[in-house]
Amino acid sequence: MIAAPPIVLPLFATPLGIVTVPKAEDLNPQLVDLFSKRTPRDRAPHSKPHVYRSHDDLFDWPEQPARVLATEIFRGVCSVVETLNAFEPGQLRSFNIEARGWFKIVEQNGSLPAASYPLTAWCAMYCVAAPEPSATRQDSGVLRLYESRLGIMFQDATNSVMRVPFTPGHRTWRPVPGQLAVFPASLTHEIALLRSAGKLILVTARVRFVAPGQQGVGRW
Amino acid sequence: MVTPTLKLNSLFAVPFGEMRLVPCERLNQELESLFLRRESAEYKNPTPSHIAQEETFESRFNLFRWPEACVQELCNFMLNAVAQMVIETTSLKGEDIAQLKFQNHTWFHISRYAGSFVAHNHPLASWSAVYCVRAGESVPQHPDSGVLRFLDVRQGANAYLDPANVSLRRPYALAPVEFKLEAGQMVMFPSYVFHEVTPFYGSDTRITVATNCWFA
Repeated sequence: MIAAPPIVLPLFATPLGIVTVPKAEDLNPQLVDLFSKRTPRDRAPHSKPHVYRSHDDLFDWPEQPARVLATEIFRGVCSVVETLNAFEPGQLRSFNIEARGWFKIVEQNGSLPAASYPLTAWCAMYCVAAPEPSATRQDSGVLRLYESRLGIMFQDATNSVMRVPFTPGHRTWRPVPGQLAVFPASLTHEIALLRSAGKLILVTARVRFVAPGQQGVGRW
Repeated sequence: MVTPTLKLNSLFAVPFGEMRLVPCERLNQELESLFLRRESAEYKNPTPSHIAQEETFESRFNLFRWPEACVQELCNFMLNAVAQMVIETTSLKGEDIAQLKFQNHTWFHISRYAGSFVAHNHPLASWSAVYCVRAGESVPQHPDSGVLRFLDVRQGANAYLDPANVSLRRPYALAPVEFKLEAGQMVMFPSYVFHEVTPFYGSDTRITVATNCWFA
C-alpha cells in the first residue's frame, strides 16, 4: 500500500514582496545626487554617527527623481497588495494612498535599530545603493525581519530545523539596488550593522490605504 | 455624588528583577582578567546559535563549571539571585526550590568596537540573567552604545495609536525597555523575552556574564 504524502500548508504566514523597479539604473544615480544635495541643508534630528536619516517628507519633494521614486514605490506596494488580496477590478484604485517616506544613508559600522510602524499597513524599503556584500560577514547591512511567532520557546530536534517557510528565527533580505521590499509595517525589522566600506542608501516608506468613507484611521 | 474609585490592575505583566553586587570591584577585576586570558579558540563557543560577530567573543556555556574562586563567587551571587527571583514571583518557597534540580548554561561576552548581539530569546530555559563585569566606555555621541534592550512582548499592541494610548506610562508604555548596565548590576527576566545588545562604540571592552536557568 502506498501512503499518500501529507498535505502541508503554511498557516498565518507573513508576506514579503520583492519588486524590481524598472529603469532603476537610471533613477538611482539621480537619487544619490539629489540626496547629497539635500543632506547638508536637511540635517535631520534622527541622524547619528554612521547613519543619516532625513525628514519623512520625501514624497512631498518637487524634484523629478523624487517624484519618479514615489510613483514607483506606490506602484510596487500596490502590486504586492493586489497580489495578496482579492479585490474587485478597480477597487484598489478607489483607495486613497497615504504615505510618508524618508531616506537613510548607512555608513560602515552603522545600523538602524529595530522598528515597526504604528497606524501603518505596509512598510516598503527601496535600495538606492549598496556596497559589495562582505565576503566574511554574511549579515552585513541586511534587512532583518524579526521572528514573530510565539511558540518557539520549546524546541526539539525536529521543530528547530524546519525548512522554509517554517524555519524558526529571523529572516533576512539583502538590499539590492533597484529592488523594493514590501512587508507588513507591524513587523519589527532592523538594518544590521554594515561591515563593508561604502554607503548603504535606502528609502523607507510607510503606507496605508483609506477606503472611501472609511473612518478610524488616526493621524500620523 | 460619590466619585467611583478606579481600580487599576496590571495584566500579563513580565517580571523583571534587578540586583547589585556591592562591592563588586575586586570580583570584577578578577573576572575580567580571567576572561581576557581565556578569550581564545579553546574557550570560544564552538556552536553559536546566531551569526557570530568577531567583535563579540562568546565563551562556551559551561562557565559556572570553572573551578576558579572568582567564577564560583559570581555563580553563587547570580544563581542565588535567580532563586530569589523565583521565590518572589511564584508560589514556590526556598525549601521547594531546594528540592529541584537547578540547571544553567552560563557564558561570558567580551565586546569591542562595533560589537553587538542580535535580538534573541532562550528556548528551553525559564529564567535568564545578565551580570555586568565591565560597562565599557560611554560615548556621548552614541547614547545607545552597548545598551541591553528588551523588546516589548506585546507585539502588535502599538499598531493602532491615538493620543490616548501613545504616551502610556511605565509599565504600560508601548516601547522597548533599555538598560545601560553598570558594573556589578544584574538583571533577571523570563527567558522568552526577546533582547539584544546594540552596537558598542567604546574604545575599550564591554564584558558581561549571561545565564539561562531551568529547573526539574
